Amino acid sequence: MAKASEGPEPLSGPLRTGGIVKFLSDVAVVAEIKLRMSARVWHWQLFAVLAMPLPLFILTSTFVPDDPEALRRIIAGTLLFGVAFSIGLLTGNQFAYERFGQIQKLYVMMPVAKTAYVAGSLVHLSVVGAVSVVVLFGFAMTRGIDVRIAWTTLPMLVLAVLVIMGLVLFIVSFAPSLDTANMSASTVGLLLAVMSPVYYTMEQAPLLIRWFGYVSPLRYAADGISASLSGSTDVLFEMAVLAGFALVAMALGLWKLPWRET
Amino acid sequence: MCESMTDTHDMPVLEVEGLSKRYRDGTWANRDISFDVEPGELVGILGPNGAGKTTLVRQITTELIPTSGTVRILGRDAVSEPDSVKPMLGVVPQEANLYWGLTVFHHLRLFGRLRGLSHRDARARADHVIESLRLQEHRDRPIEALSGGLKRRVLVGIAALTRPSIMVLDEPTTGLDPESRRDVWSFIRQYKSEGTTVLLTTHYMEEAETLADRVAIIHEGRLLALDTVDGLRAAHGLEFKVTFSRGDGTGEPETIYGADDGALVEQVRATGVRQYAVSRANLEDVYLALTGSKERLDGES
Repeated sequence: MAKASEGPEPLSGPLRTGGIVKFLSDVAVVAEIKLRMSARVWHWQLFAVLAMPLPLFILTSTFVPDDPEALRRIIAGTLLFGVAFSIGLLTGNQFAYERFGQIQKLYVMMPVAKTAYVAGSLVHLSVVGAVSVVVLFGFAMTRGIDVRIAWTTLPMLVLAVLVIMGLVLFIVSFAPSLDTANMSASTVGLLLAVMSPVYYTMEQAPLLIRWFGYVSPLRYAADGISASLSGSTDVLFEMAVLAGFALVAMALGLWKLPWRET
Repeated sequence: MCESMTDTHDMPVLEVEGLSKRYRDGTWANRDISFDVEPGELVGILGPNGAGKTTLVRQITTELIPTSGTVRILGRDAVSEPDSVKPMLGVVPQEANLYWGLTVFHHLRLFGRLRGLSHRDARARADHVIESLRLQEHRDRPIEALSGGLKRRVLVGIAALTRPSIMVLDEPTTGLDPESRRDVWSFIRQYKSEGTTVLLTTHYMEEAETLADRVAIIHEGRLLALDTVDGLRAAHGLEFKVTFSRGDGTGEPETIYGADDGALVEQVRATGVRQYAVSRANLEDVYLALTGSKERLDGES
């Protein structure tokens, strides 16, 4: 059968088995694998990332006065609600699918770091999430809402994605099956978004939500993004708090993500 | 020659010593397993479902951390240094899936990159493996359009991409049709002939007998024997067998085993039986003798 008797061409260089270049290469490959899968079903993926944010924005914006400040908060809230729900769900689905679908073991047995695997997934989710951000901003602008996007918007969004991803990874790592993993992923994102004052400020929030708001990363993200959308870059406190949350959440997620089995 | 970075001269490629795994519920999946695999050797691990073959493979491939014991690949400890061991391994897990939506070529190219190949080498090796495994007509088909046997071939290809020092194949031909099975056998033989060491688990006697230089028999988590098929036969006095039926020859066939065919024939003829068949014992006979039918066989002989 095989023409392997001729043997393959010798390698042009040594195998790359470690180091920062290998790590970055692995991140890019994992992201490419997942983006290729998304591209095959791009219309479903688009539906998944838009189904929540756009209707939410349309609905919630009808309840607030025609005030730029209030509408910017609605955009920030919708972004975070969408990010928390969509990214949380996608994260949970992906990792559960690969873990329980016996795909993740291919990575475990290869010279690929767990962090590279997670980072590659993060790149993929960020690209997918960016679609909903662009569409939402475009929609807001066509409605004439005064949005002046400061540079701080992007890092705040990325940090929010990291927080959600880390928390969902941590929670779904306890799940004993694919079904429970999917269910817990959507619940975590939704609960976090609903319980946090993302659509309104802390002062406007009911008492229970205000208490939760003090420890909710999404509240700091909403405050920061809301300010960033008015062109302000004075959000370093919110960014620092969110970065702390992101660090803890990702550390927890990476720590619990099953890799080598004990 | 293998392209993993460690020099393979003068040391076993794989050293397993006192390997045991006990799960949290107290079940022992395997106990005190020790063996070596020499460079260029193909060792087949034979055992029924649930014997502990996959647990052993998962411990060797770093996926499962053993309760006790050591695994060394070319002198490196697979338990404490998994990162230095993984580049030397090519693994076909028993249960593994591939990505829906990705083509055969994309799988091989992208997993080649993860194995450490450059862009150019990953493409070249992907195409070489596709040709070697006769997957040319499926090259650009998405994985979900392939049969189970073809997917299995892709997994074998992924394991072979970097021509690792040792390939660990966990039941690589289970579920394959005879033609696909022979294709995979041919591919494994090819890699072995080029110096790759192979550890292969199977529950097919024919596969172990056809491919393996030495066969390990594992049962209820314990390694019962490891030798060449001839060595196993000799060690257990199972060189020959005589099959016969008592009475008018229509009764239940009986088989007796022994090291001397003449003595076996005399034994049968002494019972008045005149129709019998003499043949060399095969691996299945040795296997049955070792894994539970020992008393029955001893009684018969």
